[in-house]
Amino acid sequence: MDTFSYLGQGFGVALSPYNLVTALCGTLIGTVVGLLPGLGPINGVALLIPIAFALGLPPESALILLAAVYLGCEYGGRISSILLNIPGEASTVMTTLDGYPMARQGLAGVALSLSAWSSFIGALIATCGMVLFAPLLAKWAIAFGPAEYFVLMVFAIVCLGGMAGDRPLKTFIAALIGLFLSSVGIDANSGVYRFTGDNVHLADGIQFVVLVLGLFSISEILLLLEKTHRGQEAVKATGRMMFNVKEAASVFAVNIRCGLLGFIMGVLPGAGATLASAVAYMTEKRLAGATGTFGQGDKRGLAAPETAIGASACGALVPMLTLGVPGSGTTAVMIGALSLYNITPGPLLFQQQPDIVWGLIASLFIANVMLVILNIPMIRVFTRILAVPNWALVPVIAIITGIGVYAVHATTFDLFLMVGIGIFGYILRKLDFPLSPVLLGFILGGLMEQNLRRALSISNGALDILWSSPITFGVWVLTAVMLTVPLLRLWRKRTKARRALAAA
Amino acid sequence: MALQRLFAVALLLACAALAVMAWPYQAAFSYEPVGPRAYPLLMLGLMGAGLSYLAVRPAAIVHSDEEPPMDRATLLKIGACVVLLLVFAGTFEPLGFIPASMLAGIPMARLYGGRWLPSAVVVSLMSVGLYLLFDKAMDVPLPLGLLDVLEN
Repeated sequence: MDTFSYLGQGFGVALSPYNLVTALCGTLIGTVVGLLPGLGPINGVALLIPIAFALGLPPESALILLAAVYLGCEYGGRISSILLNIPGEASTVMTTLDGYPMARQGLAGVALSLSAWSSFIGALIATCGMVLFAPLLAKWAIAFGPAEYFVLMVFAIVCLGGMAGDRPLKTFIAALIGLFLSSVGIDANSGVYRFTGDNVHLADGIQFVVLVLGLFSISEILLLLEKTHRGQEAVKATGRMMFNVKEAASVFAVNIRCGLLGFIMGVLPGAGATLASAVAYMTEKRLAGATGTFGQGDKRGLAAPETAIGASACGALVPMLTLGVPGSGTTAVMIGALSLYNITPGPLLFQQQPDIVWGLIASLFIANVMLVILNIPMIRVFTRILAVPNWALVPVIAIITGIGVYAVHATTFDLFLMVGIGIFGYILRKLDFPLSPVLLGFILGGLMEQNLRRALSISNGALDILWSSPITFGVWVLTAVMLTVPLLRLWRKRTKARRALAAA
Repeated sequence: MALQRLFAVALLLACAALAVMAWPYQAAFSYEPVGPRAYPLLMLGLMGAGLSYLAVRPAAIVHSDEEPPMDRATLLKIGACVVLLLVFAGTFEPLGFIPASMLAGIPMARLYGGRWLPSAVVVSLMSVGLYLLFDKAMDVPLPLGLLDVLEN
């Protein structure tokens, strides 16, 4: 049982006082960041990358900090969706459906602690899944050559479009923008400057942190200008703060089911928390049938999406750690952070730096426990943060974003680039393009090009290396299936519309 | 719809321009069959195909209830916000972090509906506080600029 001894070692890393304090700070910062409008897990984690680097944290502590911030952000988003009925991001939309009615019934504290508990169970199930499957997958992934990696990345990008549902074409275009942007800068193989326009600052390529903060923070700041609702009153969290055993027991079966579902969805590239929470909510609603009061404050309706989000967030770490292929925006940011430390995630990471991998897995456990405990004394403080008006908040967010960007290279060119990318991101958003594929494409792009060129170097330019091995062929088949999913959906919608027309 | 078409066409033109830019990219001498221009051209080509489809048949945009349709006042505000961000970027090094963030932050707070006095107080305090937090406590170097004289 190698795995368990490694896990023990991981707990040894995560439980060292230094890393415990790091995780505690991370969860607190994350919760506050997640609470604020305009800052979600993606820019929360991205903001901290240059800071963690400047602080000189060792790589495992930095990764623990980022993971804790990530979980904290997810939790903070929950607070605003339960108390304000404003989902902080797409994945918590389902939480508002039953969380807000529960808060209105005077069960705000119970709803919050129950959601934290559900998310904890989800993360626990996913972490167990990760402990079981990740080493197996890593062992299998060692057989992957450059051709296999290239095909796998094509699959990840196609999955993104296939899973996104309503707007596959826009998702593809967004991913292609990211894939293209990654080729800006000096080409490592030949030394050719690509698309730099003789600008020294672009020779290094577009900095990852600049792209993330521009795309997400600046565009959000601009978007906040046009939101109509402001100063909405939060539901007061009074009365009982903790759920009781009976309430926990009543949702336990839901927790287990949705945890497994969320883990599987999290491992699949491109599916992620948003889809997992929606599927979990719909499934539970159907299972409950007439006995459920979904939409009016049913505890199961709160527990289902939260468990799925918690599980898929941890499940998304599996492809990232074992294959080095991120499946979601946030894991893409984490890969960006790792590459700053010169660590390449992938199958070899498990052998070469077990401290980092298992320390991270163990710290996920610990950060989840911390969140459940922190929730009880801190919730009143957190709700007060919700009352801060936008006029005080937005300039501060803008300034902090500026600091984060400036901290990377200390050039003002990056600040201008950030504003430019922000305007572009704002236009993309207004035109209904999803933004996280841009980010994912940007991270995958560099890897994809390297692997493609390496594969074709091996075969001396013959293209058939890309589909001749059984693994590559299998992945191509899956890719083809994924490509047909949106077309099939479209076709079904059309025939339904036609039938409705004929019936009328 | 029209906006989306315009955007698709504009991006398509940008793709074409970038492809022309990428055409001469060639390694002086090379050990590998794939040069530096194949990958960007492939991406630009695929993007171009997607965008042409979008330009011909734009997808409908679903508006949520929270988002009111754009009007003149909002556009002006967004323009002003962009200008302020550019001012922040431009003055960051010459004036230093604290003056730059006050210069851009106070009008920005006004844009989001704050009154002059509270905006000025909050943004000034926060910019000094953030400077101390990041530069002194967290070792993220920030330019002092005009306030350089205070340092010694």
